[in-house]
Amino acid sequence: MIGSLYHPGDTPLHRIPAAAKLGFLFAAGLALFLTDSPAPLAAAAAAAALLLAATGAPARSLWRQLRAVALIIALVFAANLAFADAGTAFAVLCRLSALVMAAMTVTVTTRTSDMLEAVERGLSPLGRMGLANPAKVGLAVALTLRFVPEIFGHYREIRDAQAARGIAASPLAILVPLVVRNLKAAEDIAAAIDARGFGAPRDGASPKERHRP
Amino acid sequence: MKTLDLVLVALFAGLVIVLGLLPPVPLGFIPVPITLQTLGVMLAGVILGGRRGALACLLVVLLVALGLPILAGGRGGLGVFAGPTAGFLLGWVPGALIAGLIAERVAAPADGAIRQTAAFLAAAVVGGIVVVYAVGIPWLAAAAHIGLGKAAAGSLAFVPGDIVKAVVAAVVARGVHRAYPVLPARAP
Repeated sequence: MIGSLYHPGDTPLHRIPAAAKLGFLFAAGLALFLTDSPAPLAAAAAAAALLLAATGAPARSLWRQLRAVALIIALVFAANLAFADAGTAFAVLCRLSALVMAAMTVTVTTRTSDMLEAVERGLSPLGRMGLANPAKVGLAVALTLRFVPEIFGHYREIRDAQAARGIAASPLAILVPLVVRNLKAAEDIAAAIDARGFGAPRDGASPKERHRP
Repeated sequence: MKTLDLVLVALFAGLVIVLGLLPPVPLGFIPVPITLQTLGVMLAGVILGGRRGALACLLVVLLVALGLPILAGGRGGLGVFAGPTAGFLLGWVPGALIAGLIAERVAAPADGAIRQTAAFLAAAVVGGIVVVYAVGIPWLAAAAHIGLGKAAAGSLAFVPGDIVKAVVAAVVARGVHRAYPVLPARAP
């Protein structure tokens, strides 16, 4: 139902571990805001464009992602040209383009599952402190991806039933039954997850503790 | 957090995604057709309450970052966060939190239809519009190097659509709350 923006390939960019790519992207994002002079920013934008081209992803799918943000960046460029000077406008244009293309490079060359793994590993120190549970994050991601086609199916059913009764399409008429139906399903799903022992204490806990609901 | 809370968080993250997949709704009196995705953000807050609503939005933000094209118009990936309008996406999290906290405190279960709908409307407007713009506009101003005033002016075109969505969210939340309340009850 939901595709991924990942483009399979075997370029050097694909082989860099996800965490390293995310770290580099973060550092590059900070560095791009350290300078306002056009020359290094233009070089960064050119480098990011080369990286994005080196991913081997088809231009059409890249452009589909770039289109919306390119429009905003163009508007920003026009606003800066009108209210500031041409140098600033060019510098901001280069910085935003470099950031967007570098970030897209990471997304296009990294599997969603590898990215999730990097996030879970990043969260594990928090998990040891008891602040976040990486396993729960993984379960929540998996559940959401499972729910999307489910909710969409419910939406179609309710819409068809209402159309058969001559009710015009309206978010108001659809959303209440859609949300209520899914809320009811949520209780069954939660019970099913509990019944499979998710989040139960690990071995070593007393049987009494293990069977606590 | 109980398993049911986790399931509800995932469910509303799914709802926000599905609402983004639906075609934009053209409204006669507004120049731009509105997407329903931010309606889902408001609903997450006022139906689930602050904490779970914010987590649902955080989950959507995470899925976008993981590289899934789940934002309205099929956008997604880390590039979204690099764009100058990323603040309007990140603002969903505090927006749903505030909307939910207000709804938990103001919308009493015993209230009549009009009072409760008005409470949900106030929650959706403050959380889903004021807070989201309060994050998005300074972010846009900083990333685009334009003044706060100009960033605010550029964002104004979306306010009428957002107000319509807040009204829809309030009416839907009232309907859901009457049929199947999950909002944590809290004394004002």
